[in-house]
Amino acid sequence: MSLFGSSSGFGSGGTGVFGSTTTDSHNPMKDVEVTSPPDDSISCLAFSPPPMPGNFLIGGSWANDVRCWEVQDNGQTVPKAQQMHTGPVLDVCWSDDGSKVFTASCDKTAKMWDLNSNQAMQIAQHEGPIRTIHWIKAPNYSCVMTGSWDKTLKFWDTRSSNPMMSLQMPERCYCADVVYPMAVVATAERGLIVYQLENQPSEFRRIDSPLKHQHRCVAIFKDKQNKPTGFALGSIEGRVAIHYINPPNPAKDNFTFKCHRSNGTNTATPQDIYAVNAIAFHPVHGTLATVGSDGRFSFWDKDARTKLKTSEQLDQPITACCFNHNGNIFAYSSSYDWSKVQTVPSHVRKTTSSCGMRLRSSSLGTRNGESGISVTMEMVSVARQGCPPSFIPGCFC
Amino acid sequence: MSVCHFFLQGRCRYGEKCWNEHPRGGRGSGGDYQPGHQSNQSNRGGFGNRVWINPSQRSGGGGRPHPSTPSRGGVDWGGGSNGAGGGFGFSQNRFSTLNSQSNFDGGAGSGDENEKHLEAIQKDMEVWQSSGQWPFSTYSILKAPISGFVELSPEELRLEYYTRRSSGDVESYINSVQQLANQWRDRVQELRIMNPSTRVAMTAELSNPRPSGGGLFSSSSSGFSLSSSSGFQAGGFGSSLQSSATFCFSSATTGFGSSGARPGPSGFGSVGVFGSAATPATPSASAFSFTAPAAAKTSAAVSGSVAGFSFSSSSTPSASAAGLGSGFGSSTPAGGGVFGLVTGSSSGFIGGASELYTPQSELTANELKEFTAARFTLGQIPLRPPPAELLTV
Repeated sequence: MSLFGSSSGFGSGGTGVFGSTTTDSHNPMKDVEVTSPPDDSISCLAFSPPPMPGNFLIGGSWANDVRCWEVQDNGQTVPKAQQMHTGPVLDVCWSDDGSKVFTASCDKTAKMWDLNSNQAMQIAQHEGPIRTIHWIKAPNYSCVMTGSWDKTLKFWDTRSSNPMMSLQMPERCYCADVVYPMAVVATAERGLIVYQLENQPSEFRRIDSPLKHQHRCVAIFKDKQNKPTGFALGSIEGRVAIHYINPPNPAKDNFTFKCHRSNGTNTATPQDIYAVNAIAFHPVHGTLATVGSDGRFSFWDKDARTKLKTSEQLDQPITACCFNHNGNIFAYSSSYDWSKVQTVPSHVRKTTSSCGMRLRSSSLGTRNGESGISVTMEMVSVARQGCPPSFIPGCFC
Repeated sequence: MSVCHFFLQGRCRYGEKCWNEHPRGGRGSGGDYQPGHQSNQSNRGGFGNRVWINPSQRSGGGGRPHPSTPSRGGVDWGGGSNGAGGGFGFSQNRFSTLNSQSNFDGGAGSGDENEKHLEAIQKDMEVWQSSGQWPFSTYSILKAPISGFVELSPEELRLEYYTRRSSGDVESYINSVQQLANQWRDRVQELRIMNPSTRVAMTAELSNPRPSGGGLFSSSSSGFSLSSSSGFQAGGFGSSLQSSATFCFSSATTGFGSSGARPGPSGFGSVGVFGSAATPATPSASAFSFTAPAAAKTSAAVSGSVAGFSFSSSSTPSASAAGLGSGFGSSTPAGGGVFGLVTGSSSGFIGGASELYTPQSELTANELKEFTAARFTLGQIPLRPPPAELLTV
């Protein structure tokens, strides 16, 4: 069911070729596997916002494409459409009404994809690859915010080819998040800037990073009144910092925690430390999910400061994750994230390994600390798709 | 009342009820988890600022009443049942040494603080070495980053690979990455071992953070900002990948850090690698590292290290210019030696003993303007060294 017309021999969706291994490290959590995943690593995932009926998932990948799937209530995923860029896609986001998807790519452009007409047009241009893209909906304006490796943050009205505003950043933009009226951008060299978006975007504060290493991902969380009040910042060093913007007691309220490390409490052997690739907050419960290079995802409660659940280890790093609008579905993608750079020659070969995307349904992260995840949807274990011929199982160094 | 030493470590079981004194002073609430009775609620939610001190590090802070904060945070969060603090690491307090109203007894002397920092750096390097985490990351213990580290995100590196692959040039990518990795390894090893000259340099660096624009370290600022002490500029690579086919990490603005004081790799090594791709868009500015006099004697080693600097291809008219290591105030044999590396370039520096400074009269108007400005403008960074008159040390 290659609606996407890709060439990697998927066969007709879902008939397992590899299903017979006893320890299936490809999908150890037995989550629903999304059909027809992209051919190369998935860089970003986004679910459709509330106004749209149904759940649509957008995924951008290093194969220069952006794909859209419909996730039905029974768990089946139906590939719907695809758009191409001329460079790897690094970030995607939806407009607030769910009719358009914005995609940002290494080809230095961003496009607006109208799903109804399946047309995509370019709406932004930078001098370097665009790393983040977000839709901002303010009472008096709406625009697209793009952060790029050319150290600028630009705001685009989709109708004009000139940016409405362009803000200079101290360094390359590595990750960003927007929850009106707050936007947070984390840059290279541990830069951290908060912008306020009322009236027009302006820099609100530059914050000293609570982390010692490179910033990798950031996600804003909200307080009980649904106002953005702080953010979670993940680094390459297996650590996430929770930072409130105006806490009553900064020393007490802000903290960091370690995650995505091997042998948790055993301090005898050196730990393996993995990067936190993405963070997502559950829209209802406010719990957070982190996914890392170690191939695990974890759910945490930041108020109780506890870990709720960690998954089994997948065979590949998990590169992106997101919750759908009501928090019932958690999607994550497993594909190589370039983290094994120290073993250079074989790491380069990894680009041909298979990529997968999975959905997990749940009433996740409820605070009564249940150890299991209650399932509202039947979990279907779909056997692994056919892989490109050059894939050799076990060759993951 | 005697001071409760468990409280000082952040693990007093009695909290408010403790019979010993709990000095308040920049340590937050200290330990007050009451096992069992009292509300389990607050047990979870109100840990406050607990700094779980790694026992192995305690030796460093032994004699002092307030162990200072750059101690490693504790273990990973347990399922909440692990009552021992749950181990969320250090908090903002880590930076309290920078606050003017530091409520530590700063009377312990900045020397001690630095000692703690150096130890923390060593520990971190050890962890970094063994953990397999991403090597191309900036690192810092205080506000300013420690020099000698390159900041590259996996995506940037990956994009570089993809572009090289499409032009068929995978080998050079692999070489570049290996070179970067070697550089990193050397730097980490150096900081971990912390031999005396490194120690001196680090202490200087820690006590005199480099001037950084807007509170954030800007690696794109000129290689010129001299700090009166060691003046090491971190190897910040400016925005990379500007031109599509090049691995040119500098967009003419980067200051490359060269560890003038140590026989480590110089930040220039990487420049060589990147220059090897097709023409870099703009020549990179040279970084001038002025070694502190104390460490100047080892600057001879610098030249040695730079010799290891090779541009792998000769196609670049790259003026990835030479950095000068010059010992101020102490004459070093090789100090005058400028390691300039150029391959077949027409406009670059020639390696060897070229001048340290350009006489002011020889500068073009533009160059003079750049040198006298507060910062360099992108794309206009002069390729020649500044005149000695303009330098303020």
